[in-house]
Amino acid sequence: MKLLAADKDWLRFQLSDGEKAVLLDVLGLYPCVPPAYHRLSREPRDNADRERQRLLDEALAEQRAQHRRLLQALLHNPDTFRKVGTRWQMTLRRGDFDWLLQVLNDVRVGSWIALGSPEQLPRKLPRDAAQAAHACAMELAGLFQMVLLDAVEGETAP
Amino acid sequence: MSATNTPLVRPDRDEDTSTRDDAALDRGWLVICWNDPVNYMAYVTHVFQRVFGWPKQKAEFHMLQVNNQGKSVLTRETLEKAEHYVHQLQHYTLQATMERAE
Repeated sequence: MKLLAADKDWLRFQLSDGEKAVLLDVLGLYPCVPPAYHRLSREPRDNADRERQRLLDEALAEQRAQHRRLLQALLHNPDTFRKVGTRWQMTLRRGDFDWLLQVLNDVRVGSWIALGSPEQLPRKLPRDAAQAAHACAMELAGLFQMVLLDAVEGETAP
Repeated sequence: MSATNTPLVRPDRDEDTSTRDDAALDRGWLVICWNDPVNYMAYVTHVFQRVFGWPKQKAEFHMLQVNNQGKSVLTRETLEKAEHYVHQLQHYTLQATMERAE
């Protein structure tokens, strides 16, 4: 997947059949991070802290629902993916950029949590099939994240 | 299951609680980002720029502090603003917390 073109409203990427299939698989894993992962405070002290945690939990649940809606709308929009020759072109509106980045990072972090939150990220594919799937999802989500970040980084680089 | 509800806060303690909260508000609240091995450095920098509107240089400074020292105090704010920033950072799945400034 690579950036083809961009203007003030959109970014356009080129993908192979395989890259598109993998991207859709990765996005299909969302949401991955368990709600209990998000802590507002390391040491909740009183009822006020617990109430603030409840508000955060509500806000994140709302965000997950909103992201699922946005994701469905994006993937079902006929303008998002267009076959050109043997390749696909994916067009993202600028407004879609940050929430898509959040979705991909959720898959990356959620897969890392599913691996047991290791301090050292796995250097080899685990032998266990489920663990291998989590490791692949983590790496692939990260790969797509970096392509997106590089696309906007290139615009601001001197 | 109990047939009666016990109030979470005793009425005679209301004043003490609010006094303590006022004092905490005066000191402010710290927004802290903690290190983890999974979030990319470029991603963390991008998030700091988006959430705080910081220039890249400042965002990178705090990202490196998180990476090298395990955490970075990103800002000191009122309760409401600190809560807002932590919510934003958690939306990006960063490990961010808010603590009362001592």
